[in-house]
Amino acid sequence: MKTSLKYTAAFLALAAALAPIYWLVTISLKREIDQFASPPLWFSFTPTLRHYSAIFSHDAFGRYFLNSVIVSTCSTLIALALGLPAAYGLVRFPWPHDWARGIGFWILSNRMLPPIVTIIPLFLMLRELRLLNSLSGLVLVDVALNLPFVVWMMRGFIEDLPKEIEEAALLDGESRIGVLLRIVLPLVRPGLAATAVFCLIVAWNEFLFALILSQTESAMTVPVGIASHVTQYEIQWGAMSAAGVVAMLPVLIFAAAAQRYFVRGLSLGALKG
Amino acid sequence: MSLRVENITKRFGAQEALRGVTIEAREGEFVVLLGPSGCGKSTLLRIIAGLEEPDEGTVNLRGRDITRAQPHHRDVAMVFQGYALYPHMTVAQNIGFPLRVRRRPTSEISAEVERIGARLGLSHLLRNLPKQLSGGERQRVALARAIIRRPQAFLMDEPLSNLDSRLRIDMRAELKHLQHELAVVTLYVTHDQVEAMTLASRIAILRDGLLQQYDTPSEVYRRPANLFVAGFVGSPSMNLLPGVVESGVFCRAGLSFGLTSDELRAIGARREITLGFRPEDVEFSATGNPGWTAARVWVTEDLGNETLIRLALDDVHVTLRAPAGTRADFDSLAWFRIRPEQLHWFDTHTTEAIRVSPQEH
Repeated sequence: MKTSLKYTAAFLALAAALAPIYWLVTISLKREIDQFASPPLWFSFTPTLRHYSAIFSHDAFGRYFLNSVIVSTCSTLIALALGLPAAYGLVRFPWPHDWARGIGFWILSNRMLPPIVTIIPLFLMLRELRLLNSLSGLVLVDVALNLPFVVWMMRGFIEDLPKEIEEAALLDGESRIGVLLRIVLPLVRPGLAATAVFCLIVAWNEFLFALILSQTESAMTVPVGIASHVTQYEIQWGAMSAAGVVAMLPVLIFAAAAQRYFVRGLSLGALKG
Repeated sequence: MSLRVENITKRFGAQEALRGVTIEAREGEFVVLLGPSGCGKSTLLRIIAGLEEPDEGTVNLRGRDITRAQPHHRDVAMVFQGYALYPHMTVAQNIGFPLRVRRRPTSEISAEVERIGARLGLSHLLRNLPKQLSGGERQRVALARAIIRRPQAFLMDEPLSNLDSRLRIDMRAELKHLQHELAVVTLYVTHDQVEAMTLASRIAILRDGLLQQYDTPSEVYRRPANLFVAGFVGSPSMNLLPGVVESGVFCRAGLSFGLTSDELRAIGARREITLGFRPEDVEFSATGNPGWTAARVWVTEDLGNETLIRLALDDVHVTLRAPAGTRADFDSLAWFRIRPEQLHWFDTHTTEAIRVSPQEH
């Protein structure tokens, strides 16, 4: 009885989560005429790959996809490269008074602001730097978006490492930078991987900044590209869904690849010499 | 002088962890820092390692002032209580790490790792990860990592305290022999006075950040500088009975005896003094003897090679060592006599030892 209830609940949750995806995938495979047939055609439609070929041939979807890959990968790598040392410094260096906590909170507070509030200042700043409509501009913005998260996450992982291990390395002749690269980095790798996946997903899905800051094809990312199918005269449901399906794939792949790191990242505290 | 810490003071906030501590060690000497937890002994070690900075004072290693030097510029090696092995490296990589940091050629590193590993009985474990090792094996790896680069000083922070008691005694002996072989000045922190007595060439006893006494184990044992040292060193610990001096007689509840002229001269005008004597300096008898003191047997502990007897004397206990097989029933009346040549006297107020020297002729 209890078990069947549990399964029913799980099934309902799963159905709720998968229904939009089912809808997205089927629409991407339907001809326009079948898309909004009433009653809906659940399975009995003639599948077509027209929309997929259309987004790659007519639209510049390939370009958007490449842009998204570049922006999310670069912004993630930069955010990790900056965030790990920052977190390490906050945790391990002797700060006067309560500064480490204060700085940590200030970093986190950057995430508390609704992004829309910062969009006009960011627009003006990037315009001055001549980085509007450029991938580097988007990378910068995504780094700023992800950096607080990286610092905050890595702080927790570093705090969990026994301090003695680092002290042993210092006495063995390693410098601070050496300790960070050869002792801390390998030990927090699971946490770093989990953080990286999160950053990749945030940057990959980021819509608002990309929409406002990049209006040309050469700098447009996938979310903006998908939205551009909503035009003044029509909504291209088929092309939009096909693009949505393609955009979803990398996120699924990241998550699957990092699944074991997620679990290990959560249980990193169990690490003992 | 190989290692000299001078006048070290360290504060954590309002609390003073160390107050003007000065210790020097000769080349190859094995110095043990002994004291209860929170006495500042680990802080002193960390200051020498460069993991803490002193507020005052200097650290000098072989004539070089290293007070403000970074840990990796000091050329000292440290063994930690929790071993602090690198969990992501194999045993061989752990041991070889100090040489790898120094960019020695790979062939030299692996040869050294082989040699040190064999010396410490780790040859069959070199490919394992630390988490696959037992506590004793991890301890050996930590030692191997410390000795491989021949540092100018070894620092050890309670390295044996995580081992079970059998293994601890074996490792203690091994450590002492190894230190003798290497002849490198060693500072060793422990709260275990037996460990301190067995290992040290000199013991520095710390309490509340103050150095109480710094001397050889036998001197610390035979001539403790104050009540704290007297009570802390020795197991079972020294009997300490506070009393008063009245017209040349030391008296307290249940016990009184006349003082010699040497003792009286040393005691001088003091009135409240404390008598100290070691359990082995007390004779025991189940029958009354003239001049002996009577007391009730509180408990006896048969250790096989000797018997420890605790007597209840008024409001205090007197512990004594008796030959193996000595029998005494609970609460029975017994007699004891302190050997007069083995008495220690302390000023009850200042806690300092009162040194009795014979009259010069």
